[in-house]
Amino acid sequence: MSQPVKAMHAGTSKILNKDLRRQIVDMVVAGNNGHIPSAFSIVDIVSYLYRHVLKVDPRNPEWEERDYFILSKGHGCLGLYVNLHRHGFITDENVTQFCRKGGILGEHPDFKKVPGAEASTGSLGHGFSYAVGIALGHRIKGRENRIFVLVGDGECHEGTVWEAAHVARNYELGKLCVVIDWNQSGMQLLPHDDLPGKWKAFGWNAMVIDGHNDDELRRAFDNVRFESRGVPTVIVAKTVKGKGVPMLEGHGMWHHRIPNAEEYAKIMETLA
Amino acid sequence: MSKKQVRQQFADTMLAVGQEDPDLVVMVGDISHGILQPFAKACPGRYYNVGILEPTIMSMGAGLARVGLFPVIHTIAPFLIERAFEQIKLDFCYHGLHGNIVTVGSAFDYAYLGCTHHCYGDFALLKTLQGVQITYPSTPVEFDTLFRSAYRNDTVTVYRVPGSQHGVTFGAGDIRLGKGIKVADGRDITLIATGPQLRTGLDARSLLASRGLEAEVLYIHTIRPLDEELILASVSKTKHVVVIEEHMRSGGLGDDVLRAIRKLPKVKYASASIPDTFIRAYGSYEDHCEMVGLSPSGVAALVESEFGR
Repeated sequence: MSQPVKAMHAGTSKILNKDLRRQIVDMVVAGNNGHIPSAFSIVDIVSYLYRHVLKVDPRNPEWEERDYFILSKGHGCLGLYVNLHRHGFITDENVTQFCRKGGILGEHPDFKKVPGAEASTGSLGHGFSYAVGIALGHRIKGRENRIFVLVGDGECHEGTVWEAAHVARNYELGKLCVVIDWNQSGMQLLPHDDLPGKWKAFGWNAMVIDGHNDDELRRAFDNVRFESRGVPTVIVAKTVKGKGVPMLEGHGMWHHRIPNAEEYAKIMETLA
Repeated sequence: MSKKQVRQQFADTMLAVGQEDPDLVVMVGDISHGILQPFAKACPGRYYNVGILEPTIMSMGAGLARVGLFPVIHTIAPFLIERAFEQIKLDFCYHGLHGNIVTVGSAFDYAYLGCTHHCYGDFALLKTLQGVQITYPSTPVEFDTLFRSAYRNDTVTVYRVPGSQHGVTFGAGDIRLGKGIKVADGRDITLIATGPQLRTGLDARSLLASRGLEAEVLYIHTIRPLDEELILASVSKTKHVVVIEEHMRSGGLGDDVLRAIRKLPKVKYASASIPDTFIRAYGSYEDHCEMVGLSPSGVAALVESEFGR
């Protein structure tokens, strides 16, 4: 039986993507809404994917041969939005209208509104099963598209995550790559949470890396085979909720809190 | 009455349409596996008996639709509509995707199996979802015609496949999505029936005739969009209406009929339906119908008690 893990993931000391983190904080303050720590937990993974892995075209988000990135943990969407903005899918104006009347960016992504967002997520436990359908659908159509899904570790409480893992392995959806944002949110409630062991038990290729380290992200994604018919891969990324700003790190009150002026100044100083 | 079960027609239609349309994909939750083998053999790579995980089958269906395929998702009604409701709501409807949901075991078709296998609230649930089309094809020709006309629509279409049939023979030309059928003329009362209960309506009409009442009988195979025009024309004339349906009183066809006729003056309404409670009794489908008043004598008694006629 696995032992409960109590120590929080440490992560690397070097803070990546400070510019994206600052933009996330600015959006939250301006929009008076948003989950900063959840976005900081995933922003390095999403940034790496958009810079080095995903085959996408901001001028044609529905390009038939593209890779799909599905953010199943929709409340981390600020980590997606800033990357979509950096790569030209959405505009400066879209960003400034986060959570505002008439804007296209809300606290969960709406794929009918946001160019580059492949799914409307928010209710946990949907995006991965949906992605399994997309992966299967492309295989039926004889296409080679790759599908990446980012799932939260708390989201792994949902039974549908394991239904989908079961199906994807048995259908040999080798073009599917799941990344788990293992920031230990789930362990707060259910501490026996050997996620790598669980995914291995479901027959997946499983890797464990530091989700805030570009070298480890590179090593992981370079080792995914993406076979048309093969074992799917899960990258269990050790992350820190709120990574980059000590006062935001962990599982406390900052989950959905808006910084005041003094806190904002401290955060920006840390991310300078 | 057709000897062929509507469920068999479902399998036959999948085979026929699947051979014509390479984008049709069928996913089931470990039922109807035998009757779908001809489809599986004729359409390799497009049949999946996924397993006992209805919410994920539903989400996968939405994923198939996202890449331009036309999914058909099939298993027992309570597990597909009630358990996987949020997947229908979010993964299909919120995403604006198309798909086809074919249920068996609606209402108490699986009477002997008890309440876990009953589903008499499906219309009510589905009607909360924007754009979902709800059909209740109760003969083979109805299923084949409705499926062919709707499966490539840009929304979700639900086909509630019953275990029994009403016994009236329609031609394919009689069946149009969203259009009801006047089966018998009358001037005193309108009986509106859906599903196999059309038989109850027609037999009740005979009983009422012996009391000197002429009942008009309307048949509704499409719950949504509802043929309000046909209903209004009839009830405007008769001023008395009974809706006969295998659904809970709350949220069923009867509620939609009431909404349709709300502006008509001096109309009396009664509902022959399933009470808003669990049906804990055992026995056959026919026993259950009799118990809740879905019988010719039950409808005739309702006319007497509610309308005094």
